[in-house]
Amino acid sequence: MTRGAAGAAVLVLVLVPPLLTSNPFLLHLAITVLLWTLLGAAWNLLGGFAGQVSFGHSTFFGVGAYTTMILYLKGGLAPWYGMALGGIVAVLVSLPIGLICFRLRGPYFSLSTLAVAEIVRLVALNWEGLTNGPVGLLITTLPRVAWGGRILDWESKVPFYYMIATFALASMLATYRLSRARLGAYLLAIREDEDAAESVGIDTVRAKVLTLALSAFFTGLGGGFYGLYFRYVDPDAVFPIALSVEMVFIAVVGGLATVIGPVIGAVFLTTIGEMFRERFLVGHLIFYGLFMMLVIRYLPEGIWGGARRAWAKRP
Amino acid sequence: MALRAQPGPVETFVQSVVSGVLTGSLYAMIGVGLTVVFGVMRIINLAHGELVMLGMYGAFWAHALWKLDPFLSIALWVPLMFLGGMFVYRFLLRPIIPGGELNTLLYTAGLSLLIANLALFAWTGDYRTIKLPYAITPLRPFGIAVPIPLAIAFALAIVITAALYLFLSRTDPGRAIRATSQNPEAAALMGIDVERISMLTFGLGSALAGAAGVLLAPSLYLYPTVGEILIAKCFVIVVLGGLGSVSGAIAGGVLLGLVESLGAVYVSVAYKDTIGFIMFLLVLLFRPSRLFGVGKS
Repeated sequence: MTRGAAGAAVLVLVLVPPLLTSNPFLLHLAITVLLWTLLGAAWNLLGGFAGQVSFGHSTFFGVGAYTTMILYLKGGLAPWYGMALGGIVAVLVSLPIGLICFRLRGPYFSLSTLAVAEIVRLVALNWEGLTNGPVGLLITTLPRVAWGGRILDWESKVPFYYMIATFALASMLATYRLSRARLGAYLLAIREDEDAAESVGIDTVRAKVLTLALSAFFTGLGGGFYGLYFRYVDPDAVFPIALSVEMVFIAVVGGLATVIGPVIGAVFLTTIGEMFRERFLVGHLIFYGLFMMLVIRYLPEGIWGGARRAWAKRP
Repeated sequence: MALRAQPGPVETFVQSVVSGVLTGSLYAMIGVGLTVVFGVMRIINLAHGELVMLGMYGAFWAHALWKLDPFLSIALWVPLMFLGGMFVYRFLLRPIIPGGELNTLLYTAGLSLLIANLALFAWTGDYRTIKLPYAITPLRPFGIAVPIPLAIAFALAIVITAALYLFLSRTDPGRAIRATSQNPEAAALMGIDVERISMLTFGLGSALAGAAGVLLAPSLYLYPTVGEILIAKCFVIVVLGGLGSVSGAIAGGVLLGLVESLGAVYVSVAYKDTIGFIMFLLVLLFRPSRLFGVGKS
């Protein structure tokens, strides 16, 4: 299959679903899968390529969500600009975090990101003047927008579907570009042996901070989308540790440092999770934990990585 | 009778020191469990908080179903958690360890999510409390309020921690644990069965987590994801004390208890938890050899 054909196939796969069904549950499922694809791919940029396991990505998600909501509710800025700004504010927040946490390595880095995320969550919870505290922020009406002569129907899920599909594709494209770029090679060198990478002249801190910024941008974008789609954010919804952990799981279960991995992880885990939630309401992360354990034990390269290896080894 | 006077500045200070030390002793127990496991196996067990949560629910159900006082049911849960911990190590963790530190970190993250969500599924997310008849009026030595369940928990935590300390310093298996923690290869060359010691240590760590959970249960709200916040505190404790150091974890636990309770009085109730995390970051960044004791490379 040529690259053009692959691109066309992906476009068809992404564009067609809303034409086939108007079932709100299925569309909601597709939107959730795409949102998690975006988040998994964003986390994968840093976690997969550079091997820096962050347990604090909820920070960027929450910052993106709150930026979008606050700019709309208090500044009247249309949420689509707000989403982009959410990504940019997440980048700004990521810079000091990167400069602090990247002084640590391996599991210590992971623990420090966890601590930062908890600090940010507590600040969001208590800075009531800005975030409205535990009560959260609620959007009651979205502005009227015309697209190609038609007023967009915000009650339908279709506009949200195309919006998040675009973001998810952009994050995958970024992953692909990173895997081909010099920076991507630097990151792999850092993942394999950080001292060796430094000794051949790679500015490891700069490479990691840049990648964290890119990763934070997509995560913040996802947060902004979340705010717009659910029209409600509160600190427990957008800043919990569990959210960071879910991003990690999607990337690892799907396949680290691959373009397709986060899609597979998101389709697989989110579908199971949402179906479980639909039926039992609580405990939908049981399977996340279970599959994480199975994958680490039996398929350390993730589902996609394992499948690719099996395909390469076929007789 | 005269109205009770507003507590003076001295009483407020003493009161917060006392509650800080009481809570800190339980934090210390959780931290010690995490730190011995790290010392021997170099595993940062992200599921440690869930083990505490299981101990809390153990105490709750023993009290709800069999009218068993938590301070009695601890005798049942500690051996069970010990066996459970050894089982988890032998069949779940051991095959993962050769894959490296990050793999075990991710694996225990999976285990943590699995346990917490199974608990959520089985017991719902409702907040629960254990109501003990003797918990209503606190003791008032020298005008300082000391809740009775917390006082008993403190006493038991001291007994358990002291017993552990004696076990580690005076008995053969205890010495073997310390030897493995200092240098696994040398320990193996001296004829120590490192595999068995690892299993024993993981059992011990789980038992300590479970015991701390049972002791905490009458003083805290119980809910299935309580482990999440406990594990975060636990990292603060062990990093303050030096990962792998038992006495460091004890000091770190008491210190965190003090910082939280003094911080709540003198800084702000809302931000008391952030103080611990900020200390944690500062220590990670500027004192890699940690605050207490010897740092291990």
